Amino acid sequence: MRKTAIIFCLILASAGLRAQNLSDLIISEAMKGSEVSVTDEYGCHCDWIEIFNTSQGTVNFAGCFLTDDPSDLTKCQIPKGYNSTKLGPRQVALLYASGLSAKGVFHLNFTLRKGSTIYLVSNDGRTIIDSLDIPSELDESQSVAKFAHDNKEMVFDDVRPASPSPGIINGKHNQKSRAQMMKETDPHGWTLTIVSVSVVFAALLILFLIYNLSGNIFSGKYKRKAGKKKASGQPDEATAAAIAMALERYTASDMGPEAAAIAAALHLYLSESVHDVEPGFITIVRNPASDWANKSLTFRKTIRKI
Amino acid sequence: MEQIFDSLSQFWQFTGFANCTWQHLAMIAIGIVFITLGIVKEWEPMLLVPIGFGIVIGNIPLFPGLNIGVYEDGSVLNTLYQGVRQGWYPPLIFLGIGAMTDFSALISQPRLMLIGAAAQMGIFGAYLLALAFGFSPNEAGAIGIIGGADGPTAIFLSSKLAPDLMGAIAVCAYSYMALVPVIQKPIMLLLTTKKERLIEMPKPRVVSQKEKIIFPIVGFICTAFIVPSGLPLLGMLFFGNLLKESGVTRRLANTAGGPLIDVVTTLIGLTVGASTQADKFLTGNSLKIFALGLVSFIIATTCGVLFVKVWNLFLRPERKINPLIGNAGVSAVPDSARVSEVVGREANPNNHLLMHAMAPNVAGVIGSAVAAGILLGFLG
Repeated sequence: MRKTAIIFCLILASAGLRAQNLSDLIISEAMKGSEVSVTDEYGCHCDWIEIFNTSQGTVNFAGCFLTDDPSDLTKCQIPKGYNSTKLGPRQVALLYASGLSAKGVFHLNFTLRKGSTIYLVSNDGRTIIDSLDIPSELDESQSVAKFAHDNKEMVFDDVRPASPSPGIINGKHNQKSRAQMMKETDPHGWTLTIVSVSVVFAALLILFLIYNLSGNIFSGKYKRKAGKKKASGQPDEATAAAIAMALERYTASDMGPEAAAIAAALHLYLSESVHDVEPGFITIVRNPASDWANKSLTFRKTIRKI
Repeated sequence: MEQIFDSLSQFWQFTGFANCTWQHLAMIAIGIVFITLGIVKEWEPMLLVPIGFGIVIGNIPLFPGLNIGVYEDGSVLNTLYQGVRQGWYPPLIFLGIGAMTDFSALISQPRLMLIGAAAQMGIFGAYLLALAFGFSPNEAGAIGIIGGADGPTAIFLSSKLAPDLMGAIAVCAYSYMALVPVIQKPIMLLLTTKKERLIEMPKPRVVSQKEKIIFPIVGFICTAFIVPSGLPLLGMLFFGNLLKESGVTRRLANTAGGPLIDVVTTLIGLTVGASTQADKFLTGNSLKIFALGLVSFIIATTCGVLFVKVWNLFLRPERKINPLIGNAGVSAVPDSARVSEVVGREANPNNHLLMHAMAPNVAGVIGSAVAAGILLGFLG
């Protein structure tokens, strides 16, 4: 049991580590600034680098380094303590290589140079997570970007100059929406209809099976027949009738609501109708452990002959 | 003097009279009809009165640029409208519905859940028809959900799939929900025989408190694992029900099922109404949506009733189900269950179907939320 718990904890811990795996980050695009480049929050056209989280978990890249100098891997550190450094699944972050890191969290203290390589370095300052070469012959209106051949596998092995798409997942603008794909693959909607109806039925069928099973358990269907005598009802009915008669006879005229509530509870109990067992409401339940059924507590005891 | 006339002329340009078109007047008239139906006929007054007044608010002719219209960023109405636009009013309403709904009928007769699934055919029938009418798949999905007869779900899904059609879809869904007795009764009478209408169903069994506590937990885990995209609606529905049934969070359940749902219903009705501005609402598409909405209600009711009739062929006589509860598979709670009761008592005054009909009725709420999750997953 203990071993299982330890294994379970390790699995959970490893899942947590996976969610924070910095190796899932890539430098997906970069561009040497020009008049057609993006502007930062100060309105300046500047160089930019795009970082993409290829994983399905959130990755915080605070504390990581970016550099264009392989001999100085800790050239510019991403500040810690900001929520904006957390990258959600398949999200991108845009960093401005403005040369002035004091301008903000996402500003780097260097600018991009054609023919150089930029590196994304882990927060240990030694491990290179990813790099991107900026071609020396790159056109001013183009960026250099990484594309995935297979968007499911997220293997970004196609690096080439491209039309700039800052802040947008590369290639995504060329991808079709799910509705568009559905229009092509299922123009009349029959496939979606059949699948959806099946899923709705399956969901409610599963619920039916579960509640049917639990209902059988709670209603005592699977119980041994030992308790059957208690549930036979006949003696209870006589008792309840006696209580009802006593109520009618002895309750004062202003006790109408109380008497009605007790009578209603009795009726539901005897007719075995749907009965809310909840606090604040009069509820009559069978209690096999009750002392009322205990023979030793009856008023008359058998006279013993001495 | 000339300055006074200039000022008056300038003021005139700001008034509604100067900017009014016939479309504005038509929409205001529709709003007044909604209010009248809500007050005089008492058809879903909690919804039709706020929506009707919202339509009037949204169609007061405005001078552009005053930043007060529902579609103008930062205006008061626009801020309130974000609950609809971003889809966080409907889950709050589901929280309240969960806190108010007693699932005992469903727990005691789980087999009736399948009727709730059959009635969801209205959603997919309307989806197919909407595609045939030339709507895109995401628009068709948003229109189809009208067949679920669930206003909050319709708003939630249309805000995600087809925001431009949301006003028409929401108004259509609520209008037909108000007309459930009018739409469903003739279909039920047409599809059932006198003998079938007389079927008396066995009394449901007693449901314990433990079962009622387990229901929302197990129900949520099962449905959310099957359709994670329905999480906001299903999660809130079952959470609200757990608050009610746990017995230890009575205050929270009372708030969720009382003041909270009242506030959100008021805001959702008002803002949905206000979003139906003449230029966005009075289009050919709106007419198509109203036609498809009606068809989806008819398909849902028909499928529910026919499903029970077919099912009865395989049941022992003492286990037979009255097909009059088939209509209750749509999730207009509790109106469609009431229709079953009324039609059932017309056939046999001693046959009370309300408690039985509540089972497919609440199953319909779950079913339509699941269907919305599937459509969102495929088309979102």
